[in-house]
Amino acid sequence: MKRPGKAIGMISGGLDSTLAAAMIRGQGIEVKAITFYTGFCITETQRRKGGRQDGTVPQNEALRAAADLEVDIEYVDISGGAYLDMLLAPKYGYGANANPCVDCRIFMMRKAKEIMEAEGADFIFTGEVLGQRPKSQRRDTLWVIEREAGLKGRLVRPLSAKLLTPSIPEQEGLLDRSRLGDISGRGRTRQIAMAREMGLLEWPQPAGGCCFLTDESFSKKFFHILGQREAAGLARRLEQHDVVLLTVGRHFRLSATSKLIVGRTEVENGVLETYAEGRARLVATIVAGPVALVEGQPTWEERQLAARIVARYGKGKDQPSVELEWRDADGAVETFSVAPEVDEARIEQLRI
Amino acid sequence: MWGPMRPTAALPEPALTLDTSGLLCPIPIVKTAAAVKGLAEGEVVLVIATDPGIATDMPMWCKATRHEHLATFQEGGAWRSYVRKRGRVAARRPPEAA
Repeated sequence: MKRPGKAIGMISGGLDSTLAAAMIRGQGIEVKAITFYTGFCITETQRRKGGRQDGTVPQNEALRAAADLEVDIEYVDISGGAYLDMLLAPKYGYGANANPCVDCRIFMMRKAKEIMEAEGADFIFTGEVLGQRPKSQRRDTLWVIEREAGLKGRLVRPLSAKLLTPSIPEQEGLLDRSRLGDISGRGRTRQIAMAREMGLLEWPQPAGGCCFLTDESFSKKFFHILGQREAAGLARRLEQHDVVLLTVGRHFRLSATSKLIVGRTEVENGVLETYAEGRARLVATIVAGPVALVEGQPTWEERQLAARIVARYGKGKDQPSVELEWRDADGAVETFSVAPEVDEARIEQLRI
Repeated sequence: MWGPMRPTAALPEPALTLDTSGLLCPIPIVKTAAAVKGLAEGEVVLVIATDPGIATDMPMWCKATRHEHLATFQEGGAWRSYVRKRGRVAARRPPEAA
């Protein structure tokens, strides 16, 4: 009789990782799911802001998948220093935007390996599919990730396993290779058919990636803030609060060393209020308007410019003059009366 | 469909109250998981959160981790979620397919 095995599954809740978990469970292996919190998940940010533009609120798919499959799940918070440091100088470089997918996978796999060892598990599995993504899921890259994470032979990709070198659990008979998959490429037809066969009822539609680092607009802000820090003679690094603020509001470059963030909704205004400490806060005093934060050390002219932009996004945008309160990071308060900025071309030029 | 669950009976006195107000999802769940590890089997944790994501996340997390979800409901400006720790039961292993 085969000995019972245990596996750590990296689950996002998407179709592929859900199927992978179902396939491994289907071979009688105990599965513990793990899912990573990086701080860059688009879906999480949508949830914080109250939902999508169409009014629906996305659910946490990793929790949903674990609940549906009835497998234990652990959230692994990697949103802190070491992960952020990795983003600044990825060994394997960036993808099209600020996405260091290979280094990110290696980082996660190393954490997963720690959990595998702590749990006494036999192997790790993922929902990766050979050739599905142009960089991180090529055959050579899958191997690099496995090697760099120190998981040689202990990392199983059930959906593509028959196309890859047999893993240790396959060689040891813990996993039956003949019941693993031979899927490659970007299509989802076979996965959908498998899901129906397995009785899986729910899986999210692919949303073009769930990571802000792959988003062009976000990447501009990401690299801008690093450049801004360097220009100001500060360390080129990010903190967790920077990541939250990069996902919120309209961002404008006031100078090489200062930046304006203007809330777009009540929820964003609330987030900006939460992160006002250590930054200048700018709001209209008489008419309603957005909350805005300013980072850096702006000149008087740049403060005036910031005030005009904030006035433009408030209820007083058509008035000749709007009064705003500027509260410095040290608490000093100043009042400006400015004409709202009407030069849309200039505003766009300043937008990051 | 996952969603808030209102209490139908008096809720037990929590052994631990965890205030995650101001923290954004999924951090309330991360902190709940850490807190539950320190409880004895049968003890109850009350999680207070301002992020509405807890209304869907907590019932799903409880189902996956086999803790008992007693209730999650909104009270004033915050959400209150009651969870009873269950002992580590044998993993639910699906019958191996032939």
